[in-house]
Amino acid sequence: MDKKWVILCSTAVAAVYAAGYFTTETQASIVQPPLYIEENHQSNDVQPNDMPTISSQTNNSQTNNSQTNSSQTNNSQTNNSQTNSSQTNSVEPTTPIIRLYQDGTYTGLGKNRRGSIQVAVTFKNDKITDVEISKFAMHYSKRDVVGLPEEVLQIQSAQVRNVSGATYSTRAFKDAINDAMSQAQNA
Amino acid sequence: MKLHQWIKSPKGYVAISMAAYLLIASVWLHDMIGIINGLVAVSVTLAVDILCCYFERRKRIMPDGAVITGIIISLILGTNTSWFVVAATAAGSILLKHLFVHNNKPIFNPAALGLLLSILFFQTGQSWWGAFADLPSWSVIFLLIGGYLVVNRVNKYPQIFAFFGTFFILLFLMGHYKVGDAFDALRSPFINATLFFGFFMLTDPPTSPAKVKDQIIFGILTALTGAVVYGLFGGLMYLFIGLLVGNLYHFLNTRASKSVSKGARSNPKKTAYSRRLYE
Repeated sequence: MDKKWVILCSTAVAAVYAAGYFTTETQASIVQPPLYIEENHQSNDVQPNDMPTISSQTNNSQTNNSQTNSSQTNNSQTNNSQTNSSQTNSVEPTTPIIRLYQDGTYTGLGKNRRGSIQVAVTFKNDKITDVEISKFAMHYSKRDVVGLPEEVLQIQSAQVRNVSGATYSTRAFKDAINDAMSQAQNA
Repeated sequence: MKLHQWIKSPKGYVAISMAAYLLIASVWLHDMIGIINGLVAVSVTLAVDILCCYFERRKRIMPDGAVITGIIISLILGTNTSWFVVAATAAGSILLKHLFVHNNKPIFNPAALGLLLSILFFQTGQSWWGAFADLPSWSVIFLLIGGYLVVNRVNKYPQIFAFFGTFFILLFLMGHYKVGDAFDALRSPFINATLFFGFFMLTDPPTSPAKVKDQIIFGILTALTGAVVYGLFGGLMYLFIGLLVGNLYHFLNTRASKSVSKGARSNPKKTAYSRRLYE
């Protein structure tokens, strides 16, 4: 093939590619923000008999975690004291209950070059009670990660084992769970 | 064939390019597992190819095509893929190459068929790491340089331009009308996969046509099938399915032209008579 034709055709192909690239620029740049769904936002500030697992250790961990958590602590303490004051004085003073995660269902998103995974994680009493893959947009098979929600429920963490041959999907799944957890923490 | 002659052959060009990509990507990613997978794949493809040639009682055994198939497989399968799956994919590719044969030439691109079946049987997470899919965008320049050298050597420009032109036009249209995830296909890592596939798999001489007209049809057909599969299903199989359809066209076209020429040879009077009728 003549070199002139090679150059001409290469330019034409590059132009078509560029047209496609710039046409899809807006679609590609749309970063879907992790949706925040507040389904069951209970005021869990006053549940004196309901939280035996959260102790002073929680306080420490919260202090280490972030400023937001500390502000949550303050709020919960304030609310708690208000509630107490509105009740009768005969009620015994109880230790304020601090939670790492607000109850509710939170949607987290994990993305990488090979696609994205969206999960809906439900928290209740500081425990993950339900995990659902709400949107699977990876270029791999969904079967790779289908067992991971169950694993999260068992280990109560995003640190699921790496599925052999499905590193990108596992990574996106972990990121999605972490995203949902951080939302629940900062709520 | 002497070494310097082989280096200048089309297979030599592809083998050297693939080996260079394997080294560059491994060093860049600081991941030597790709090289180990490459050694596993090449060892298996070599062994299976030699065995198959031995059972077929071929006089001349040239396993360089098997080496290329092995390297391509290791460059496409993710580096985290277990050695067993790499070996099984490599062995399957060569066995299928010897199973689907026409005039002593493979009908389907061995690596493409093996990798397609690997997705279906092993759910392999193909990463195209050897096409620099996990590296900065500008590393695509290596693909373009290697691609230019190979396409120039095998003289497949019409096929390449038909493929890339059709594929990018269809992606542009899909992007414009928001059908499927066209924006993904135009960006890394999928654009790396498309370039690597187009330059080094589509141009495989035994499984692709030589005539200009056939090259253009082959390129368009592969791109069209691939784009439709991508638009409808996404995933990772679209390029391989496109190529297998192109290979099938090439096989049917070759068989049809052979039967026409056979018919002409077996009945020269009839052919001469029919030629006069049309003249």
